[in-house]
Amino acid sequence: MKKIFINITILIISLNMVAQEDEKTEYKKRVLESTEVNLLSSYYTQDGENAAVTGGRGTEELTDFAPSINIAIPLNDDDILAIDATVSAYTSASSSNIDPFDGNEPADAFIASSGASEKDTWFGLTANYSHSSDDRNTILSGNVSFANEYDYTSFGFGGSLTKIFNQKNTELQLKANVYFDTWSPQYPIEFRSGFNLNEYAFSGEVNYAPTYTDFTSLNRNSYSLGLNFSQILSKSIQTAFMADFVYQEGLLSTPHQRVYFSDLNETRIENFRLGNDIERLPDTRTKIALGNRTNFYINQDFILRTYYRYFTDDWGTNSHTAKFELPIKLGVNYTLYPSYRYYTQTEADSFGEFNTLLSTQEFYTSDYDLAEYDAHQYGLGIKYYDPLSKFKIGGFGLKSINLDYNFYNRTTQNFSANITSIGFSFMAD
Amino acid sequence: MKTLAKFLLISLFFTSCVAVKEYEKIKINDPDMKLAERNLDKYKSTFQSYREAAAGANGGKTGGGCGCN
Repeated sequence: MKKIFINITILIISLNMVAQEDEKTEYKKRVLESTEVNLLSSYYTQDGENAAVTGGRGTEELTDFAPSINIAIPLNDDDILAIDATVSAYTSASSSNIDPFDGNEPADAFIASSGASEKDTWFGLTANYSHSSDDRNTILSGNVSFANEYDYTSFGFGGSLTKIFNQKNTELQLKANVYFDTWSPQYPIEFRSGFNLNEYAFSGEVNYAPTYTDFTSLNRNSYSLGLNFSQILSKSIQTAFMADFVYQEGLLSTPHQRVYFSDLNETRIENFRLGNDIERLPDTRTKIALGNRTNFYINQDFILRTYYRYFTDDWGTNSHTAKFELPIKLGVNYTLYPSYRYYTQTEADSFGEFNTLLSTQEFYTSDYDLAEYDAHQYGLGIKYYDPLSKFKIGGFGLKSINLDYNFYNRTTQNFSANITSIGFSFMAD
Repeated sequence: MKTLAKFLLISLFFTSCVAVKEYEKIKINDPDMKLAERNLDKYKSTFQSYREAAAGANGGKTGGGCGCN
């Protein structure tokens, strides 16, 4: 990681020296003319039958409503303050089975319980400050972020340096971010002190003896370094290469995700099998993601936007992502956005399907998000854009409305998701 | 490390392209030609970062800040 960081830094310094030749002070245009406000919202639903909370078999039904506000304020000719606040309120059937015995129906991995863990609200706030140089060829920015939900709190900060050169045909950005996160673990009910098996009518193994112990460290630290390079290739094609290097350490397991061992006998209460342990994942992870985005202006009606990403980590996961989007202009005010995304990944070394793991393994999980699978995502969006719109709220004029729908489906698992999102963009007069 | 070296070499190759002048950038400056995700894509990136092992290289989350993968 350290070596990579040094190499990238040297490259940036040398390119900066080349860039100096092309920089001239031109007419100084305000970086952002007036305050912009985006009101966004999404509604997400998913369903599947491989919930990690119940060891890889159980309902994954989940709904999430997430309104968001994003404000960009020009502080002067050169500086912009951008604030993003998002609330995400979700209801999760699998999370409700952290305690499957507090509902009205018999406990079952495929039936949502109705206890406190069924719902949660995530709140995130990010502030970003950016400064552009007089020639607009250098942009410095810094950000801080805070996020909180019932069992997870995150504090992060970072910054980026962007250099634009070659008559504004080439852009190079170096960015770095760190996150200091803390879990407040909500362990499955059968692992909590005070749980007494004899208070229930159970079946199966009488000597229920899980191998479980509490996690001793609850922190998760993430360090990321990113390098983006974009280039105009012709009057109608431009491309960007993105690279992210991430190192994570600490509690990388999710404390409420059960595992079942095939070499231990099962104990059941009602229709619910008690966990043998929670997932145990390595306490470090190194991720590398390399991406390319290339856009083609085909003609005044069609633009092709392409994206590809290769991802690898030291947990044994490799993945490929490809996305195509074809904006279609329908007159002056409307644009359609049909899209298709393909995703494939190999399974993590520690992954095992439901009830296939062994208690002798060092690391184990039955989180099917770390399994081998392919996924297809089909999307359709529409944008209404009218910079001359007379519709106003307060001193803000409506500039555009975006509406998007996407369907996501895993071919090798019975998992699907729908996401509908809408956004309104306003600009101060 | 080899992959990284190839990536950087390809990146440097593109700097040798002929520069497009400001007045020739009408097509490049179309809002849909922007080399970034669209506004609403942040929601999709967020759910993907929970449901998929991969993250990063898309302008979104790279890890950290959420109890996701």
